[in-house]
Amino acid sequence: MVQLRPRPSRTPASAEAMVDEGQPASEEEEAEHGLLLGQPSSGAAAEPLEDEEADEESDDEAPEELTFASAQAEAREEERRVRESARRDKVLLKEKRRRREELFVEQKKRKLLPDAVLQQLAAAPQTSQNKSYVALRLKDQELRDSRQQAARAFIHESLYGPGTNRTSVNKFLSLDNKRLPVKKAAAQFLNSAWGTQKKQNAKRYKRRWMIRKMKTPKK
Amino acid sequence: MINWIPGTYCSELLTVSLFRPGMGEFKVHRVRFFNYIPSGIRCVAYNNQSNRLAVSRTDGTVEIYNLSANYFQEKFFPGHESRSTEALCWAEGQRLFSAGLNGEIIEYDLQALNIKYAVDAFGGPIWSMTASPSGSQLLVGCEDGSVKLFQITPEKIEFERNFDRQKSRILSLSWHPSGTHIAAGSIDYISVFDVKSGSAIHKMMVDRQYMGVSKRKCIVWGVAFLSDGTVISVDSAGKVQFWDSATGTLAKSHLIANADVQSIAVAEQEDSFVVGTAEGTVFHFQLVPVASSSTEKQWVRTKPFQHHTHDVRTVAHSPTALISGGTDTHLVIRPLMEKVEVKNYDAALRKITFPHRRLISCSKKRQLLLFQFAHHLELWRLGSTVATGKNGDTLPLSKNAEHLLHLKTKGPENIICSCISPCGSWIACSTASRFFLYRLTYQHDNLSLKRVSKMPAFLRSAVQILFSEDSAKLFVASNQGSLHVGQLLEGRFRHLHTFQPQSGTVEAMCLLAVSPDGDWLAASGTSAGVHVYSVKHLKLHCTVPAYNFPVTAMAIAPNTNNLVIAHSDQQVFEYSIPGKQYTEWSRTVQKQGFHHLWLQRDTPITHISFHPKRPMHILLHDAYMFCIIDKSLPLPNDKTLLYNPLPPKSESDVVRRRTAHAFKISKIYKPLLFMDLLDEGTLVAVERPLDDIIAQLPPPIKKKKFGT
Repeated sequence: MVQLRPRPSRTPASAEAMVDEGQPASEEEEAEHGLLLGQPSSGAAAEPLEDEEADEESDDEAPEELTFASAQAEAREEERRVRESARRDKVLLKEKRRRREELFVEQKKRKLLPDAVLQQLAAAPQTSQNKSYVALRLKDQELRDSRQQAARAFIHESLYGPGTNRTSVNKFLSLDNKRLPVKKAAAQFLNSAWGTQKKQNAKRYKRRWMIRKMKTPKK
Repeated sequence: MINWIPGTYCSELLTVSLFRPGMGEFKVHRVRFFNYIPSGIRCVAYNNQSNRLAVSRTDGTVEIYNLSANYFQEKFFPGHESRSTEALCWAEGQRLFSAGLNGEIIEYDLQALNIKYAVDAFGGPIWSMTASPSGSQLLVGCEDGSVKLFQITPEKIEFERNFDRQKSRILSLSWHPSGTHIAAGSIDYISVFDVKSGSAIHKMMVDRQYMGVSKRKCIVWGVAFLSDGTVISVDSAGKVQFWDSATGTLAKSHLIANADVQSIAVAEQEDSFVVGTAEGTVFHFQLVPVASSSTEKQWVRTKPFQHHTHDVRTVAHSPTALISGGTDTHLVIRPLMEKVEVKNYDAALRKITFPHRRLISCSKKRQLLLFQFAHHLELWRLGSTVATGKNGDTLPLSKNAEHLLHLKTKGPENIICSCISPCGSWIACSTASRFFLYRLTYQHDNLSLKRVSKMPAFLRSAVQILFSEDSAKLFVASNQGSLHVGQLLEGRFRHLHTFQPQSGTVEAMCLLAVSPDGDWLAASGTSAGVHVYSVKHLKLHCTVPAYNFPVTAMAIAPNTNNLVIAHSDQQVFEYSIPGKQYTEWSRTVQKQGFHHLWLQRDTPITHISFHPKRPMHILLHDAYMFCIIDKSLPLPNDKTLLYNPLPPKSESDVVRRRTAHAFKISKIYKPLLFMDLLDEGTLVAVERPLDDIIAQLPPPIKKKKFGT
């Protein structure tokens, strides 16, 4: 496996560590700040920005001397500025939120019943024991029923639904009959539940016909 | 609601049977049109301390079986349409809880025989429930993926806190024996929670299929947590898997079935467990040493049992037996040979299919039968014939049996008990919240029904209803233990008296018996014994000494007023009410003891009746035999043949007299739900063939057999 040279990250990860936990004021400022504060030890990945600027002016001039102390002071100044702006933003946001909250409370108060009525309701006893009815929210009951229905459907599907290897009781009981040396008929060979309405109609018609026959005088 | 369905399809035969010379000839109405279908078993819960089994069925009924009293069903709580119980468990102090898809946790009062209260868990439908090893806390797994902890207080249960919410519904729960961790089975994964913090420590993913790919989700139907940290899971792919809860990894996997494995129960000693599959097979796993000398043990699948045809949705493991129940409605108790101390008939397989209570009542005068279903009653008139024949003939019916009435009860509750008066003019039935009394009037061939309104509220939730022989009085035993006596005249009910509950705990559902002359009323069910009340003076007359097995049937003989009591251990006593002592015959029987085959019958006697002209005869029946006890004949001892077939005519009278004994047993009509004497020469036998029940069950798993 090839060992890759560890490259410094371009993302301003260290900026987060420097600035305190407020939200950064603006993204551009933060990015710029990060670039400026890039790892001092990264020699290979030098900032192209500075190089380009230096190129534009003159090739012969020596680059600006930047002592560590001045750079540090600049960095601290920048840092302070960012902190200040973040704090100002935070305070503004807080003020805004407080005002909105007050507005909401005011609106809600207008919506509710007057205090007097509320106090009276709270003081009244809960439900008297003698009442013979139970107050039930229909929405709750419907929800309960639908959940119970869904649960039953789940059980039915997992035991008898598609994918289960089920057979009818008749086939199950007739399995032995099929393997006997003298093959017998199925356990429920006749389906007595077939055509019950037809059979009932026929019976009724027969009874009526017989009564009619008996009523007409014999010749 | 009343539906009139005159003259529909029925199946009744009229056969002539000759029981014994001297017993006379009987015409037997063989009735097969009682379309009784029991509900499938959904959960069982075994209580070690009292050796009792709670069984809940798909219609919401919860039954309590006393395993030490010959597996008798001593109590039950009627079902409710909206209650689909999914979990049942015992907590400390013999408290029984159930939870179901209506989102409520219900506690049952085993003394008052009603529901104490129902608490909504606010998590949607509840799929699983388990009690902590200490018995003081309750854990429920809900539809929304939450696991809720409840504290059990002496009066109620209180919500304590929620555990970390999971993504899918919690279908199974198991508590570690030390009470520190919980395993919860869901869809495609199992979570392990820490009880103290309530957070999920591990999430173990379950393979959807052992080998190959499957699109169906893998539902973890059952989990069990062992004290060494192993979690055993059973899922819908047919696997039994062993997980290590400390690391959250899979240790071992067994593929045992081609269908779902739906239930698991571990023995208290944690050396064996049992699983039930959807194919009806029950597998027994045991912890056996790897090699004969080593101390290392492993779980091995030892025995398969095929006692069911449909899904085995629940199993339980008592110290000596494996208990299983499922969609095919049988309750199977299989004692384990190696755990049973005395290898006698008690170690045989027990299969409980038929009810231990009477669901049929009969009006002898008008030849009517009243059938009790969960939500309706059916009234049928028996067919009649004018033909005669000899022994074994099937007589043709001149008039078919008629379905007179189909009476639906309003409301979602199941009917607890029902009764028709001997004259056929009154029908009474009771649910948990209402009592219904109907007056029937017969004009020529027409029947009209009128409901008696303004019934007193204290009659509801009755466990037994009985009419007096002259149909003038109504006796109602309520679940609280009190007995109500009412008078029926001019189509109205008038409350006469209430006998308050006597001292003693409620051991079984009350059974009533009234003497044909209307003077005496007997009531059983308490630990004090059978109480006999005088109806004329409306006070307690005497109490039959307590016996340690519950009463299964009772009746009072005409003229002699002897109370005949049958217990669940197959003992039959005869007590003289006027004399306030056991009769001579009863003492003789107790001294000699019953025949060992009589005592080995495994279904209880559910009905006792008498012959009006023969005071020495007692008729009784259980699910598989019908017996006429002739008190004038000698008693059999263990050496004689109990089931004495009729000796051939060629044998001399002397031989016949020598082999004859008091117990005339017939096994022709079975399985019997009801048998009674209609008049001197007619019997009615209501049979329910097992095939007719199986034919109406839900579809089972397909079994592939070579060559079909």
